[in-house]
Amino acid sequence: MRPYQICINCVMDTTDSQIVFDEKGVCDHCNNFYESTLPNWHTDEQGLNELMPMVERIKRDGQGKDFDCILGMSGGIDSSYLTYLAKEKLGLRPLVFHVDGGWNSQIAVNNIEMLVDKLGLDLYTQVIDWEEMRDLQLAFFKASVPFIDIPQDHAFFATMYQFAEKYKIKYILTGANYSTECVKNPMEWIYFGTDTRMIRDIHRQFGQRPLVKFPLSNILRHKIYLRYLKGIRVVMPLNHMPYDKEEAMKLLETKFGWQRYPQKHFESRFTRFYEGYWLPTKFGYDTRRVQYSSLILTNQMTREAALKALQNPAYDAETLHQDFEFIATKLGITEEELTSYLHLPNKTYRDYKSRLNTFKWGARAMKFLGMERVVKR
Amino acid sequence: MIAIIDYGLGNIRAFANILKNLKAPHIVARRKQDLSEATKIILPGVGAFDHAMERLNASGMRETLDDLVLRHKKPVLGICVGMQILGRSSAEGKLPGLGWIDGDVRSLRDDGLHLKDLLPHMGWNQIRVDQDSELLEGLKEAPEFYFLHSYYFKCNIPADIFAEVDYGGYFPCVVQAGNVYGVQFHPEKSHHNGVRLLKNFWELGSC
Amino acid sequence: MLRSRIIPCLLVRNNGLVKTIKFTDEKYVGDPINAVRIFNEKEVDELVVLDIDASVQGRGPDFKMIGDLAAECRMPLCYGGGITSAQDARHIMSLGVEKVALSSAIIQRPDLIGEIAEEVGRQSVVAVLDVRLDRAGHYSVWTHNGKTETGLNPVALAKDFESRGVGEIVVNSIDGDGTMKGYDLELCRQIREAVRVPMTVLGGAGSLKDLQTVIQKHGPIGVSAGSLFVFKGIYRAVLINYPSHADRERIQQGQLP
Repeated sequence: MRPYQICINCVMDTTDSQIVFDEKGVCDHCNNFYESTLPNWHTDEQGLNELMPMVERIKRDGQGKDFDCILGMSGGIDSSYLTYLAKEKLGLRPLVFHVDGGWNSQIAVNNIEMLVDKLGLDLYTQVIDWEEMRDLQLAFFKASVPFIDIPQDHAFFATMYQFAEKYKIKYILTGANYSTECVKNPMEWIYFGTDTRMIRDIHRQFGQRPLVKFPLSNILRHKIYLRYLKGIRVVMPLNHMPYDKEEAMKLLETKFGWQRYPQKHFESRFTRFYEGYWLPTKFGYDTRRVQYSSLILTNQMTREAALKALQNPAYDAETLHQDFEFIATKLGITEEELTSYLHLPNKTYRDYKSRLNTFKWGARAMKFLGMERVVKR
Repeated sequence: MIAIIDYGLGNIRAFANILKNLKAPHIVARRKQDLSEATKIILPGVGAFDHAMERLNASGMRETLDDLVLRHKKPVLGICVGMQILGRSSAEGKLPGLGWIDGDVRSLRDDGLHLKDLLPHMGWNQIRVDQDSELLEGLKEAPEFYFLHSYYFKCNIPADIFAEVDYGGYFPCVVQAGNVYGVQFHPEKSHHNGVRLLKNFWELGSC
Repeated sequence: MLRSRIIPCLLVRNNGLVKTIKFTDEKYVGDPINAVRIFNEKEVDELVVLDIDASVQGRGPDFKMIGDLAAECRMPLCYGGGITSAQDARHIMSLGVEKVALSSAIIQRPDLIGEIAEEVGRQSVVAVLDVRLDRAGHYSVWTHNGKTETGLNPVALAKDFESRGVGEIVVNSIDGDGTMKGYDLELCRQIREAVRVPMTVLGGAGSLKDLQTVIQKHGPIGVSAGSLFVFKGIYRAVLINYPSHADRERIQQGQLP
């Protein structure tokens, strides 16, 4: 049993069983950031110089069309700020794309509406068949794995790619960013949402209805075929300019009447429950460590503040109880049944079929070729 | 412990849900044994006066309720028809009411209280507060509630009237005599105003 | 002053929300519970949920679903679809529903109105009339999801229902359904002038201005809509929306810009 250790620089610790500390006690998440990410991450003029040619290309390719790119929007701060940026600062004409997995909170829906209306943008939504989503989510609960939010994650990205392919759209903008996400969730905690083989295996074993309408999309197809052969590019503008989360929220509040979320990930009540309660309680994984570590590395939070915040549970007992009941009702099961899943012996991604080897090979190749900086591990 | 009287009429579930969210201990009372620990009573009601009185009288709880309310002075909140049966009688029916508040139920139509002849009075309407009431604590000046009724409560003692509503003319919508409270509207269906009112009722008597 | 009611109308089919155009061409809108929850948080005036398959399939209401939906509502909920007896009505009301909506059942057997009113009170009995304009330019009531023509005139039917004790009449323009081109104002006027019970119009609302128009002309009245509160923009993107409190005030005052 490995002795407990926490990074002296960020707040990642040995609940990430693969964590490696150097002789100073600094973890590999931090070292990766300093060595690989930071030197290549420019939010000053250089960053803009990297971004603008792409922006110009998007505009050029989009001439005469109703929109020049699509932008994945959840209603959360990253995608909301990106929407504002894309329209007001970059002069793009995005089609705002939202995937409804059945768990939208009122605030998320309202924020999307505010931005779309006030920026005068068009909106497209894809509503995932709820009965299928529910069944798949339940299958993941029954599989007793940590990564039970994969159905939503996968649906989101698969739908966008499928839409882009169908309508021959070459550019997808996402709010992914180093500023708040430079430390990634360990794979052990949150596995790839793009491993269709894993999804199918879990569904085969625990699902109760066929997946017909649910968008399933092969990772190879997207990363290789669609990207390199069809030329669909994913662009992350937030990495090319200063992105301070607090300032971004203030700006959106003032300009658009955007509403803050009472808790992180409250765009989706399921995600809030999952990250705030299920993961820590069943597996001991607290994703706040990852989020705060990112903010520490980008100087938006002090380590002291992070340590203090981590002392309190992510959930107060009252909200938790309400959410537990809500989640159970919405999934069509009793609270007892939901609790029983909590007590199943824990499994990992290794217990199910996967394309992990393909990923590892592909990721290493991409890193080698300079296409990806940080490899999820 | 708040007892929500279930005598077959009214949106019991809605009250139970709200009280549960407020973490107010409550019980849905169907027989007199269920009232043994009641410290407050909610009396819902929809439909016709006589029907409500018949069901209440047949519920087996009538005596215990009289006792709790009149002798032990436990706070009781009558809602909609539950408020109307607090009175002595109704123009709508023949049976006597509970008589816990001095007043009678009359027809809105007969008394010319309607807009464009439309009845029942259905929808969100602002109330006018005549006297400060603990029930309305924390609400803004002229809060809105949802109404759905064709008869109204006429108080014989003006001091019992705490708020009125205008539908072709003013009539009482929040009444109180001692420990007996009545509201004509549906707090269980009036969003945050209603939740606040029920919270205020629950907190009556605590500082 | 009594405010006019602005009422989202949700259609349920196979446990999912759908939206139609002229009663066909359905589009999947999502999970009913989440939608109702969002409307509740937006503090909508009232909500109508209609199970559009129940009567057609000859089955009764899905009581579990109704109970789950009602639990989410801190505003009045009206449920319709497959109710054929006073017993059904009472059961539904006991699940936390304020009003029951009936269409084909009361057209086939008008006595049902009185029976249900007896059980739950007339204020809770709502008659829904689905109306099409026929080729001769006359309004005619249809049932079973717009598939069965009754040949009955909506005004006459509305008057009859009023005399039998109905608490509210919802008049739904099939021709306007999902088109978002505006309410059928003529149909609205005819019914409004014929009955003295609260009334709600449905079918065709395309903008907040449409709601305002009817309210200014006929208030207090209920204005109901499906597409308007569920879709956004030219791609009919599913996004639950409802006027803000400020806009609701403007609509009541006739002051939308």
